[in-house]
Amino acid sequence: MNQFLQQLINGLSIGSIYALMAVGYSLVYSIMNFSNFAHGSVIMLGAYFGFFALTLAGLPFALAFFVAALSAAGVAVLLERLAYKPLRDRHAPFLYFIITAMGASIFIDNSVIATIGPTPKTFPSELLPSFLQSGAIRIGHVDVGRIDLAMFAITVVCLVALVLFIDFTRLGKAIQATAYNMKASALMGINPGFVIILVFAIGGALAGVAGVLYGMKYQVFPQMSAITLKSFIAAVFGGLGSLPGAMLGSLLLALIETFVSGYLSTQYRDLFSFIILIAMLVIRPSGIMGKTAEDKA
Amino acid sequence: MEYIQGIAILIGINLIAVLGLSILTGFTGLFSFGHGGFMAIGAYISAIVTARLHLPFALAIIAGAVSAGLVSIFIGRLTLKLKGDYFCIATMGFGEAVRVILNNIDYVGGARGWESLPQLTSIWVVLGLDIAAVIVAWNLINSRHGRNLVAVREEELAAQMAGIDVYRHKMIALVVSAAMAGIAGALMANYIQFIRPTMFNMAKSTDLTIMVIFGGLGSISGSIVGTFLLVSLPELFRNFAQWRLVIYGLAVIVIMVGRPKGVMGGFELTPSGIRKSMAARRARLALEAEARALEREDLA
Amino acid sequence: MSVVLELKGLTKRFGGLAAVNDVSFKVREGGISGLIGPNGAGKTTIFNLITGVYKVSGGAIEFRGLPVQDKEPYQIAGLGITRTFQNIRLFKELSVFDNVLTACHASAKYGLTEAVLRLPRFRREEKALHEKADSLLEIMGLRDRTDVTANNLPYGLQRRLEITRALALDPKLLLLDEPAAGMNPDETEQLMRLIAEVRSRFELSVLVIEHHMDLIMGVCEHIHVLSFGCTLADGTPDEVANDPQVVEAYLGAEEAKK
Repeated sequence: MNQFLQQLINGLSIGSIYALMAVGYSLVYSIMNFSNFAHGSVIMLGAYFGFFALTLAGLPFALAFFVAALSAAGVAVLLERLAYKPLRDRHAPFLYFIITAMGASIFIDNSVIATIGPTPKTFPSELLPSFLQSGAIRIGHVDVGRIDLAMFAITVVCLVALVLFIDFTRLGKAIQATAYNMKASALMGINPGFVIILVFAIGGALAGVAGVLYGMKYQVFPQMSAITLKSFIAAVFGGLGSLPGAMLGSLLLALIETFVSGYLSTQYRDLFSFIILIAMLVIRPSGIMGKTAEDKA
Repeated sequence: MEYIQGIAILIGINLIAVLGLSILTGFTGLFSFGHGGFMAIGAYISAIVTARLHLPFALAIIAGAVSAGLVSIFIGRLTLKLKGDYFCIATMGFGEAVRVILNNIDYVGGARGWESLPQLTSIWVVLGLDIAAVIVAWNLINSRHGRNLVAVREEELAAQMAGIDVYRHKMIALVVSAAMAGIAGALMANYIQFIRPTMFNMAKSTDLTIMVIFGGLGSISGSIVGTFLLVSLPELFRNFAQWRLVIYGLAVIVIMVGRPKGVMGGFELTPSGIRKSMAARRARLALEAEARALEREDLA
Repeated sequence: MSVVLELKGLTKRFGGLAAVNDVSFKVREGGISGLIGPNGAGKTTIFNLITGVYKVSGGAIEFRGLPVQDKEPYQIAGLGITRTFQNIRLFKELSVFDNVLTACHASAKYGLTEAVLRLPRFRREEKALHEKADSLLEIMGLRDRTDVTANNLPYGLQRRLEITRALALDPKLLLLDEPAAGMNPDETEQLMRLIAEVRSRFELSVLVIEHHMDLIMGVCEHIHVLSFGCTLADGTPDEVANDPQVVEAYLGAEEAKK
């Protein structure tokens, strides 16, 4: 029972990071209808921004977070403007978007390796706020890592803020309308170019936060961007383009993973995720929450 | 001399996989993140056939191609009905799954890898198979089946309305490309004599795709040029190794944004290909001239 | 008079909404029939059902007496129903010639191995395919445009190429989805002549969706009128034009649009 609870808590904490990543990715998908495979690289850059803001610039912890979110958002928007917009203007086939995203991901990851180097960096614990420095909190017979707790809390705050923003503000409604039908909402006076920038900025900011959290729990390293593969899987699992789906998919995927590594073996954890991914695609390609729609000819 | 020959063999091996992927991505418009997985299957099957069963290399190559092809039929059945993005993500999942499975099979060395395989790949074997691969790819593309593949890439719905079985043609492209990746894997294992699951990770899959893109989607000769350039250049500029991938990534973006048809612009570097490209250009210019003449008439 | 296509109680629901509701009509062999109705009446949906792009929710589609509603789109095309699209769908990057040549594929029977090994049957049939494409382009007046990339063609010629591509399959029934959309009266006039000529030369039946009333009244021998997914009227152009319900629903809607 205790082991079960322990795994549950681990699963929730990993799941919350997956969710932060998956939500940003899914948000962009809902508007642009293509998989932004460079999303992982933005997450990785966010982690580095946060790390350097804390260590080199010596900024306070909360401010470092803010810097990471802001600069990751900047990178995401820059990527949109420089790489995707020319394609959109040309009505390029969707294949070109995916290839470009892949190129951007290779470019960013290897730029970091070439300049900063491949060695992982650890957030120095003395620079973290005091409540994150000491070990785990013991609740009953279960250890809850302080960083895990912080991860979970920050994620919940971010996601709640996002949901409120999307459901209750004019800009959020503009995003919803554009996701539903870009042409129609453009006719209603919603500038699609602006909504796209907004979506990349939000996705980027969440990516930055996710990157810093991930870096705090583990380490910061260039190949981090590959771990976001999991967030893609989570997003597909929950239903591409659906925000609640991305959250639910992330939690489920993380729980399955932690239980597989807890009860079976860590070796099989990734294999399980990929099998789940393919099984999901075969049984219900639109994911748990995704809509099934027939293409309009 | 030996160094040059080594590079030539590497180019030759990659070329087979790239030609296969060119059929899938360049001509059929399906984008795979998982062909490293098919290469891995070819490599490990060939290693088992030669190092464990001590059977002839020719048999190993065939076994590698057939196994990769069979697995691709299974994967294709599961994923080819999916929409574009989902297919990409599914192939990514497949490639990674192959790697993780291999990591856990001790019989083939697990994650540590498998050393001292017999060296059986000679420059002549590679050259012979390259010529065969080019002929197969070229003849396939220039047939009704090849034209149907291109139709699927260009406009899937219209292709269906033209009586083309889209699923079957996607399957043809996938199986051919997987089998060719399998052959390349077999040659690779018995050339460098050492294989390890990470050699066939997503980076390898994207490497192959980039060679196709670099040469130009929808051009066999482009794929050949792309493979030559992208395998040999990094070998010649070893000192810049760490910047190689940075430039790769940037080149991909620049090509997609600025010259989406790659170095060859979607045309073939053959007499008939050049004729065709020039005829298309002439025809476009003639149309534009006509339109201008009409405009002038209207103004007058 | 025999019937080439018959819709029996055809129904298509998207979620709860019936886009096509219990529609029945017949397309006469060798005739030109029209399918009209205000926007959103379900005309294109019917085309998508006939060609198998959508699965039917209810009812049946019989093509020359054979039920086709459960067949795959490519099979239906192979049986002899081809179509054009409202928003032209050509193989954009291919030349005019290759667009037509590709669609000729069904006339050849050689297999993959024969193609890869360039066996005699491949050479023989390939030659025949090229000749067929050539003669089609000649008939359709696109002979001097064969090398142009489809994307670069002017709009009117793109429509013409799409019809040519459809004819390459030797169809028995040709479905045209708003062929005159975006054309000026001159071009529409030309198109009308082309449709009539194609019908007699290739001995096929035509079903056309159109908004241009001139075109419909000019070439169609029989018209079926839809409104909100349901049948409103069915008959000759004269009968339909004088049907009070049609005048109200269709022309009324047109008035409202202005």
